[in-house]
Amino acid sequence: MLGYLLLVILIASALGYLFNYYSARRLTASGEKLHSLAGFHGVYAICLTGLPAFIFVLLWLLFQESVIEAIVAGGLSEAELAGMDEGQKSLLMAEIRSAAQGNVFGEPKPFMMAAAESLNNLRTTAWMALSVCVVAILGLGMFLARRKISAAFRARQAVEKVVSGFMIFCALVAIVTTLGIILSLVYESLRFFDRVPISEFLFGLNWEPQIPIREDQVAASGAFGWLPVLLGTLVITVVALVVAVPIGIFSAIYLNEFASPTLRAVAKPLLELLAGVPTVVYGFFAILVVAPALRSAGASLGIDIAPNTALAAGGVMGIMLIPFISSFTDDALNAVPRSLRDGSLALGATRGETVMKVMFPAAIPGISGGILLAVSRAIGETMIVVMAAGLIAKMTVNPLDSVTTVTVQIVTLLIGDTEFDNPKTLAAFALGLMLFIVTLMLNVLALTIVRKYREAYD
Amino acid sequence: MDQITIREPVVQTQPVKATARGVDVYYADNHAIKNVDIDILDKTVTAFIGPSGCGKSTFLRCLNRMNDTIDICRVTGDILLDGEDIYHRSVDPALLRARVGMVFQKPNPFPKSVYDNVAYGPRIHGLAANKAELDNIVEASLRGASLWEEAKDRLDQPGTGLSGGQQQRLCIARAIATAPEVLLMDEPCSALDPIATARIEELIDELRQNFAIVIVTHSMQQAARVSQKTAFFHLGDMVEYGETTAMFTNPEDKRTQDYITGRFG
Repeated sequence: MLGYLLLVILIASALGYLFNYYSARRLTASGEKLHSLAGFHGVYAICLTGLPAFIFVLLWLLFQESVIEAIVAGGLSEAELAGMDEGQKSLLMAEIRSAAQGNVFGEPKPFMMAAAESLNNLRTTAWMALSVCVVAILGLGMFLARRKISAAFRARQAVEKVVSGFMIFCALVAIVTTLGIILSLVYESLRFFDRVPISEFLFGLNWEPQIPIREDQVAASGAFGWLPVLLGTLVITVVALVVAVPIGIFSAIYLNEFASPTLRAVAKPLLELLAGVPTVVYGFFAILVVAPALRSAGASLGIDIAPNTALAAGGVMGIMLIPFISSFTDDALNAVPRSLRDGSLALGATRGETVMKVMFPAAIPGISGGILLAVSRAIGETMIVVMAAGLIAKMTVNPLDSVTTVTVQIVTLLIGDTEFDNPKTLAAFALGLMLFIVTLMLNVLALTIVRKYREAYD
Repeated sequence: MDQITIREPVVQTQPVKATARGVDVYYADNHAIKNVDIDILDKTVTAFIGPSGCGKSTFLRCLNRMNDTIDICRVTGDILLDGEDIYHRSVDPALLRARVGMVFQKPNPFPKSVYDNVAYGPRIHGLAANKAELDNIVEASLRGASLWEEAKDRLDQPGTGLSGGQQQRLCIARAIATAPEVLLMDEPCSALDPIATARIEELIDELRQNFAIVIVTHSMQQAARVSQKTAFFHLGDMVEYGETTAMFTNPEDKRTQDYITGRFG
């Protein structure tokens, strides 16, 4: 049914295109000078026939089912719905829907069969109405498009307007989605802050997100102070940066300035391969290789190291960030004008001196922008820490201890069969909101720095 | 009685500083410089002129081995500085470039302070034992580049904030701070306005007291104004080399004459 409709739209569009195209050609043949090429007249016809019809079909399908069901539900009498709550009503509608498709279970009541029948009838009517509307739109569009054909008509500009409208729509989709995400986060967070005061969340030093099952339970009240969780995130992020920043920067400097072209051609893609490794694989690496190695190293030195250390999780996360930082450094070094390097070499500086004293300082703004972006990735990284970091929130900065992160807590809070009406699950949204705010600020800062530095040389 | 006087040629008043014999330069398969022989005199301004792409800049960059920084570039033949082969294996290009300074077409001050720009070379080569000596070198170099009066109050401000002409003089100061023997200039005025150009030209004439200067220029007027010797390059050949006045009044080669009179280029 829908397929036929789309086929009709397609054929009508093609016809509209051809009609307008050849009409425009005839105008040219008769010696008139067209403002727009004949092809633009053709595309204009598509914009007036196929495009509106297609949009109409999409909108119709979006609302058809809910409208029909509202009508059917409205047709049920009070007596039939007596004593039903919302859940039972939706269950009833689901039963009617499946009955309408011919799947009848047991002995349905007669009013349900009647409702199913009226549902089917409404659907058929809706399809017919839709078809009629589409045909009308196609006909009207074709008529309008044909009327427009004249030498002076600016079909080209009209088509461009439609195209730019499409691009605006695409841009809006991205923006609106982001806004929607933010709003839903804020909404759920506000619900959380109804139950737990915001000051306790922001400044509390205890994170024990359990809720009592019975009133008289021991340790009945949970504690929702996010500071230990934030501290754990920061410890892991610092460890990751300590690993990633020097390795990333120096490998980029080596590949950019000192490596032979052959080595560079091989090593650079290999380094970028690191960026393509799924984070869950890094998680395996952390928990199966790095953590046991750390433990045995600690044991041989007589230090007791926890199985889920910040060092293992952060270190592996640092490896994940290396290609990120090295590609930013590479870009920043490449953006330093060649004339500066030549100037330094011509003064008798060696390549190393040139890199360290001229190129690197000039590239620092770009590199620091990259590092800030890496920080926001480290803070938001989930899989590695879920696998390799701990679960208990502690106020500690010892990287050999087990710490937890914001993302780990979000995951653990939402795992399991929980309802979104208690502080435990809602706390996940508050954490998510804080995470979002922190990374957003870091990104803004990073992009500002990067932009400022780009202006310096262009 | 003593009627027999030997007529000294006016040209050879200065000793030879640098010598090139049979120099060829290739960029991959492109033969950019073909068998060039030249003697560059000390304390003299030598101008390289010629149409675009004739190889004059390429040859200039052979004299301080800047062509080494281009992977596909290959130089053959002998280039001697004070009789020493600068392409010999024992020569460190970095130290050579401290002896043969270079000023580029576009002013390229480092994004550092004026002071640090000038002190860059002396610091690298350890020319100053302490801060006071470094201060002296910086001041002398800035004075040498006739930039001191304008820059003495803004030594700690970024060199990139100076005007174009001041930036180029800063680059000259930076080059002479390493106490070079030869100063190479690759079209040093082509990015400057006429007033800044005039100042640089005056400066070049003063610098001649202390250095051998080789300048690549597109402007024949500039070559005539500042240089004592001129070499004309065309399609990778050095066509003619002689005294500037002679070259501009009475060129030997037809191609030189055509170029100077504006028939091509």
